[in-house]
Amino acid sequence: MTAIVWQLEWRIATARRRLFVINVAVPLLLVLPVAMGAAPAVHAAAVYAVLFAIFSTFGSAIPLVRDSESGLVARVLRAGVTPASYYLQRTAAGAVLDVLQLGPALAVAAVGAGAGPRPFLVALMALAATVWVANLVGVLVAAATRSLAEAALFSAVVTLLLLHASGVFRTPVPESFGAAVESVAPFRALHEALLSMSLMTPVTGGAALGVWCVVMVVATGVLGGHLPGSLGVSGKS
Amino acid sequence: MSGPRAGPSADPDPDTDPASDPVVRAVAVSYRYDSGTAALNGVDLEGRSGEIVALVGPNGAGKSTLLRLLAGDLAPDAGALYLPSRRSAAGRVAMGYAGEEACHFESLSGTYNAVFFARAAGLSREEAEAAVREQFDRLGLAEDASRPVSTYSFGARRKLQLVEALAHRPTLTLLDEPFVGLDLDSREALADLLRERSAAGGTVMMASHDLDLLPQLADRIVFLHDARVVAGGSPDELLSSMPTVARFEFTLDGGVDSAELVLGEGMILVDGGDPIVLESERGHAALPEACRVLAAAGARIRVVVVRDAGLAAVFRSVTGAELDG
Repeated sequence: MTAIVWQLEWRIATARRRLFVINVAVPLLLVLPVAMGAAPAVHAAAVYAVLFAIFSTFGSAIPLVRDSESGLVARVLRAGVTPASYYLQRTAAGAVLDVLQLGPALAVAAVGAGAGPRPFLVALMALAATVWVANLVGVLVAAATRSLAEAALFSAVVTLLLLHASGVFRTPVPESFGAAVESVAPFRALHEALLSMSLMTPVTGGAALGVWCVVMVVATGVLGGHLPGSLGVSGKS
Repeated sequence: MSGPRAGPSADPDPDTDPASDPVVRAVAVSYRYDSGTAALNGVDLEGRSGEIVALVGPNGAGKSTLLRLLAGDLAPDAGALYLPSRRSAAGRVAMGYAGEEACHFESLSGTYNAVFFARAAGLSREEAEAAVREQFDRLGLAEDASRPVSTYSFGARRKLQLVEALAHRPTLTLLDEPFVGLDLDSREALADLLRERSAAGGTVMMASHDLDLLPQLADRIVFLHDARVVAGGSPDELLSSMPTVARFEFTLDGGVDSAELVLGEGMILVDGGDPIVLESERGHAALPEACRVLAAAGARIRVVVVRDAGLAAVFRSVTGAELDG
């Protein structure tokens, strides 16, 4: 079977141009005052990291739960698309769309930080890998929850915990337990790349992020169709 | 066979039925809702290649739940389901299902929706587009094909859902009230599509209240009542199991207190509303008597419609309950 879900998601995105424009404008409006203000680099990087990660997790989980509640997901899976294929194609399209929608905000953040092209490109790559992971986190959140409200709550909790584990909200303490966790956390690379745009500090979380990209694909493929949440096709009514 | 009262057998006699093994089979299937209410209780059912099976029963009898179990939306609490392989040798999904929900990709056109589902079921883009175009034409949806589904009427959504279930020519087609919301021409077109599916060896299983159409369309009718299969057979078998019953529907000028109707032997009051519905086991010959009964109660008859009571009467004789109640 060809990538019909990927094609479907792009067709839906182009049919909803107004939503696309809103999804570009809102991050821009949130980033603009921080980038153009006098916020310290560590604070600005934390704001951007939270915004980008939550944007992707929510943007993946909420529509998926909505489509599950309406019966669309069950219809697509019943029609012949396997759960793993459906979630991964949908996530791939969602991640690329997220990069397109968050890219302008990242560019504004880079201009505000006075970053050159190289730190910006590093941050853009980190953003692309991070939204891929965050979108897959959203799929698993959707699979583990039973309503839009639960999905919103769990998306926020999981994303904020992962951001915290990635060192976004704390001052690094070398060789501490927190530092050990941070070294393998998924959003560390994005945070470091955002900091690097201002401070020119090294970006070291790339390898961990790469592993997360693969681990989350496997986790989504294995768990996506089996968790007893809103995506479960067979269940009581 | 199970049920509160005796009736014709629910399953065809394997000695007299030349068809091959069942394509789909439910054996002693039970299902309870989360609330604990039994939706199905020890249901046995089968559908053979080339057969159109209609599930008939009042609301809440378990028809839709049975279809959802067969479609894989639900898992039975007890019993066993034997279903065709998920995909045929040609790689096509064996099942087509149009249930109660009519959800689509609202911002996309009807054509895109239907082609998407046909491709998901294993058709190439060209095959899917050709099959969808043909069925849109036949069901009267061609003019709406390029409009977003969000602009569709209820009937157009129903047609689209039926195309999505049928375009890939499934081995087993499961349809829940497929004729609801369709105009007369579309009903006929859908009936023809189902006959063609059957003639090509497909099995069609549908829940329907359309008692006028079912005797001409279905090869076998299965009555469900209170979560059980209570009777089944070909339309001819079911109808011939009853004496000639006529149904008289009276539209009155003003009303009449149905408690004042004095009914003779073999005549029953089916509905005391508007129209008032009486049935008689003496057939059409009982019409004068029915008119006299109403006149004696002070009713002024404006219109009377005479029908053969048909499947509704058979259902009542088997279950003691009304089909639409």
